[in-house]
Amino acid sequence: MKRRPITQQTIVFTIFVLMFAGFGLFLPGFLTAGNLLGLLQNVAILGILGLAMAIIVIGRGIDISMVAVLAVPAGLVLQLVQDGHSVPFAFVAALALALAFGLVNGWLIAYAEVPSLFTTLASGLFLAGLGQVAFFRLDIVQWSPQLDQLSWVGRGTLLGVPMPVIMFAAVAVLVSFFLRRTRLGTYVYAIGDNPFGARVTGIPTRPVIVLQYVLAALIGTFAGMVMAASVNSMPTRIYNSTLIYDVILVVVLGGIGLSGGRGGVVNVVIGTLLIGTLLNGMTILDVSYSAQNLVKGVILLIAILIDSFVNPRNEETAQQGDI
Amino acid sequence: MTSNRPTTPRFATALAAVTLLAGLCAGQAAWAQGKGIDEPFRDAYRKTLSGKTVAYVPVALGFDLAQGWLEGLKKELEPLGVKIVVRDPNWNTNAGAQAVTTLISEKPDVIVVHNPDVQTYAKLLQKAESQGIQIVQINMRSAYPSVVYVGADWVEVGEKATTAVVNACKGKSNKIAIVQGALSAAASAYTLKGVENVLAKNPDIKVVSSQAADWDAAKAKGITQTVLKQHPDLCGIVGFWDGMDSGTAAAIKEAGLTGKVFLATSGGGEQKGACEQVKSGAFDLDLSYDVPTQASNMAASIKWLLQNPGKTGTAKGSIYTTLIPITKTNAATEGTCWKLGKS
Amino acid sequence: MDRTTAPLGPAPVEERWTDTLTRWRYRYWPDHALGEILAKRWMETAIPVIVLLLVAFALSQAIPNFLSPAALADTGRQAGEIGFIVLGMALVMIVGGIDLSVGSMFALTNFCALYLMHVLKWSVAPAVVVTLLCGAALGAVNGVLIGYFRLRAFLTTLITLIIYRATYDLLTADYATAIAGGLPESQVWDFIGNGDWLGVPTVVFVYAAVAIFGHIFLTRLRPGWHVTAIGGSRRSAYNTGIAVRRTVALCYVASGVLTALGGIFFASRLATAGGDIGVSLEITVLTAAVLGGISLGGGKGSVMKALVGTLIVLLIINGLTTLSLHGGYNRMVLAGILLLAAVIDIRWLKNRHRIVNKVYVSPTYHGMPPLPSTAADSGTAWALNDRLRPATPIGLGRIEGPEDVILDRHDNLYAGSRHGDIIRFLAPDYERMEVFAHIGGTPLGMAFDRNDNLYVCIGGMGLYRVTPDRKVEKATDETNRSYSSINDDSRLRLADDLDITDDGRIFFSEATVRFEMHEWATDGLEARGNGRIICFDTNTGKTHTVIRDLKFPNGVCIASDGQSFLFAETWGCSVKRHWFDGPKKGKTEIVLENLPGFPDNINNSSDGNYWMSLVGMRCPALDLAWKMPGFRKRMAKRVARDEWLFPNINTGCVLKFNEKGEVLETMWDLGGQNHPMITSMREHRGYLYLGGIMNNRVGRLKLDGADPDFIQYDRRWGKAA
Repeated sequence: MKRRPITQQTIVFTIFVLMFAGFGLFLPGFLTAGNLLGLLQNVAILGILGLAMAIIVIGRGIDISMVAVLAVPAGLVLQLVQDGHSVPFAFVAALALALAFGLVNGWLIAYAEVPSLFTTLASGLFLAGLGQVAFFRLDIVQWSPQLDQLSWVGRGTLLGVPMPVIMFAAVAVLVSFFLRRTRLGTYVYAIGDNPFGARVTGIPTRPVIVLQYVLAALIGTFAGMVMAASVNSMPTRIYNSTLIYDVILVVVLGGIGLSGGRGGVVNVVIGTLLIGTLLNGMTILDVSYSAQNLVKGVILLIAILIDSFVNPRNEETAQQGDI
Repeated sequence: MTSNRPTTPRFATALAAVTLLAGLCAGQAAWAQGKGIDEPFRDAYRKTLSGKTVAYVPVALGFDLAQGWLEGLKKELEPLGVKIVVRDPNWNTNAGAQAVTTLISEKPDVIVVHNPDVQTYAKLLQKAESQGIQIVQINMRSAYPSVVYVGADWVEVGEKATTAVVNACKGKSNKIAIVQGALSAAASAYTLKGVENVLAKNPDIKVVSSQAADWDAAKAKGITQTVLKQHPDLCGIVGFWDGMDSGTAAAIKEAGLTGKVFLATSGGGEQKGACEQVKSGAFDLDLSYDVPTQASNMAASIKWLLQNPGKTGTAKGSIYTTLIPITKTNAATEGTCWKLGKS
Repeated sequence: MDRTTAPLGPAPVEERWTDTLTRWRYRYWPDHALGEILAKRWMETAIPVIVLLLVAFALSQAIPNFLSPAALADTGRQAGEIGFIVLGMALVMIVGGIDLSVGSMFALTNFCALYLMHVLKWSVAPAVVVTLLCGAALGAVNGVLIGYFRLRAFLTTLITLIIYRATYDLLTADYATAIAGGLPESQVWDFIGNGDWLGVPTVVFVYAAVAIFGHIFLTRLRPGWHVTAIGGSRRSAYNTGIAVRRTVALCYVASGVLTALGGIFFASRLATAGGDIGVSLEITVLTAAVLGGISLGGGKGSVMKALVGTLIVLLIINGLTTLSLHGGYNRMVLAGILLLAAVIDIRWLKNRHRIVNKVYVSPTYHGMPPLPSTAADSGTAWALNDRLRPATPIGLGRIEGPEDVILDRHDNLYAGSRHGDIIRFLAPDYERMEVFAHIGGTPLGMAFDRNDNLYVCIGGMGLYRVTPDRKVEKATDETNRSYSSINDDSRLRLADDLDITDDGRIFFSEATVRFEMHEWATDGLEARGNGRIICFDTNTGKTHTVIRDLKFPNGVCIASDGQSFLFAETWGCSVKRHWFDGPKKGKTEIVLENLPGFPDNINNSSDGNYWMSLVGMRCPALDLAWKMPGFRKRMAKRVARDEWLFPNINTGCVLKFNEKGEVLETMWDLGGQNHPMITSMREHRGYLYLGGIMNNRVGRLKLDGADPDFIQYDRRWGKAA
């Protein structure tokens, strides 16, 4: 009988279930529908970003510029509308920016062969700086009433489920379709697993890599719009926060390895649920923000430690250059 | 027959004419002389101020407070020939410390400093004043008291905000929440003290949640949502910054509780960030520390300091800003808020 | 030290004025320098250093007093603190990992130092030690997780970043006011952060000491080599037995300690435990490491690169802030430079070898007089004949590449083989063969000394000695390094032939200093004169260079007077004589020139003359090409290596000549049936034994009228037969 391997995904899922059960039993008000939806809503944006990051990580890359691409194009929309331009014009401008940014990232990584960590580090920094200098007058760009026609992406509910969660679900379905059902998605897996092999078999690796980063930029912009609608402004200072590390954690903890080629949308959802449950429970417990981070870090550490015992990395099969 | 008429009439006319002319001329001369007195102090004033350098180191240039202060300083000081030098650390504390260190060796006459926290610049400011540079601190103090502090009295902000919330809670559930800024920021910590002062006097008010949202609107929204789900009968929230509390307001609105939960916050009083939000009902009270007034207070102190150098290290004073509470009653009035870009 | 430069070579007879110009141009312009400089290892750091100089220059123009001593001292302080952290990050990156938690570790160790000094009021020394230990402990957590549990570095240090940051936030919330209140009264503490000595801040001195130690550690000490080995290929390092886990763990501990060191200086300078300390520091440190050229995959990096990167990042950040620009510009410029540097560095690193290869070969002018005729009916001593046809093969098909052959007094035949063996064929029939000694490399010229030790020049290794009881010993493999050579010419690359004087000095030729053993033919293309004659004194064990700038010196033979030796220059197509003793000491004279082929080994003949082999024949195409260095350079750059014009080494002959420079007789193998190419010949008891580096046999030719008792070395040392 074939023994099913215990993957990191399973471990994380188990921890999530344990935590959920624990909170449900011991915390009053945790298991209410309202609270659970609120839990999801808090991490919906994180989840959307996680989906974008998943596409990249499956392709054996990493994208640290996600937060910049969340903040700047959406902020651009808000700023342009605030300055009196029409809404369609603002949207076109932001889309063009996001597209250009994704193309540049993709080109640098695929054609100039700069490692993705450095490229996205630099390009994110550049985009954030560009936003500060050229686009935004203030760090916080306020929502204008003219945009209210679009506020449905982030505000309100649909059948009782808050909109950001619906958006997360929608993006999850789309990304899952892309990864599992389209040829390009399979190419992404192939490239992540063995880039040279993929190239040799005729897969157009470089255009597919560029596509990955363009998709990530577009999804990031969408997440930015959802966030802006949700909090009624675009706080571009979010670039300075450690949000990007949370996104990486969501992706990797959920089970998508950094060396690429494995994983899918389910992993991102599990990772998001875990982090969301943790944060929600601790907020209910009125644990201070720093203590929340500490607990989050310790639980994540335990998760990867367990994974390393269950799936030890063999010296012989470990890949060279993976960090 | 010619009669010997006397020549007196002709002479008299001539005399009269001459006198009239003389009188007119004298009058003219008196008119032309003018009786103005020269103000003896203005030359010295202009000479002293012209050519001086004022350095400005905010936490970052990218937000409304920092830009409002800069605009105010420029408006008051640049026409007098004072050079304003700006350093933008862009939220990086280390870069800010380095900027101040470099400035100390450049020796401007005044440095206007916006401290990211109470400690980082303390030693540097002490060193600067020991070398004769006047330090004006704006809105966020350092542990080191320099010659002038201009800014909000944070404890007062906390007290006023909490008092308003407590009053709004009269007859309701008496449950409130606090959305703090960052635990280590001076402004946040002082405001919290003010909140605690008022709460001590109102023991029946219960604080169900006191979390730090790290000045982040999304986090504030998340915290508030969770709290509202747990306590739908919450009567008031004390927020520590209007920039962040747009998220708090959004959470209240989504829960459908706008108007039922009293949100008191504080900020620079810029039109879009403050008055518009109060008008729309997002905030119930926004305590403005009135950036243009702060800027003009600073400029006034600087003008005085430049004329009286050498006061560093000995004299120390504070100018606390008079808060403008913005509520529905005055939010629509022109002049309650200031507009960025129009000085 | 008797050392002379060889005379330029035979003066070309038919030199046109264009040839003269070409000759001068190529004599006086050092083309070879460019390739040699680019091949140096420190060229990898070249790009970051250039970027640093450009940045410093641009900023010093834009900002007055940017490079004044006071401003430099300030930058130096900050650079020192961050520099320690970058060193730690560089070490971790070289071993193949990454450490994202440095920012949080910095904050925590800073807090630790402040707490000890301000609140607990300790004195400086114990506070410093405990803070360093604290840093070591924090790093050890990373080290154990990554080194021993083999977790992924990126993810693990990301998590420890979060944990340490949260710990710091909790601690400062409680103790920040206490720290702010209690300034320590210590002069020493103040000196650490704010003091300087001769205008240079204290932190710079400490950093210099640590950096020098770090450099020595990485480049000269074994643990440092282990670190680089693990980074270069973890699997191979593991398989060779290096303690991979322990080394990796210790690297993270070192990163923690270095961060703590930076934290101590920072604590002393600013005395702040603010909430923002260390946030995003890991990004700055990573940027500095990348800008300096340390690659993320591991195995490559140095202290110099870390230092250059730190300086670039700091100068940019501080310079742009001082320019009163909006902070956003700062970010854009930093990002732009980071990208540009990464792209250029990657392109440079990838293509460096290709560029160096293209640029390295630097042909020069080599003019030769017209070929003497070797036609069969020319009537000269060079006339073609078939006298080598009757040579019988020894070891046919069983020996590969016997470049030189020698016989001992028991008539056993020794020959080198391309496997690095000295093969001995046993007398009298030379049917049985055995491996006399295995040395390695490519055994070339051989000679016996008075005590019957067999000295062998091994191409690629140096001068070796095999004792009569078959023990292999190294005689020498290096000589003195000349000051004017960019390449390190103290190593012996291609020791070719040797001979031993009566008083125990060994003169041997080194064919070329610019090319390795396997590229010897490219030296022919260059025709630059890269070879030398070296003297190894067996009495003192010292080696020194005697003659330099020779065109592929090959055969060496001590002349009859015992005070000079003859040597052949293969590409110079000449034989010269150099006196090392006696009244003519130090002089070199031409014995034979304008040979029709390329001379190889020289050995004594029984009648007081000398045997020499020509390993290949000159041809008009190559002679013409030798006068056109530009043509050869273009060929080397554009054409594939295996299509280059090479000297012919397919046909040759054996000749006998005397010290007066007369060629007495020549022996050929027409049609190349038996011995098409000959690299050496040895006369022994009336037979001539032939060896060729591309042959699969040793030849034995009966010499009519030769002394049947002639044994070369016994004759020399005066031993009885």
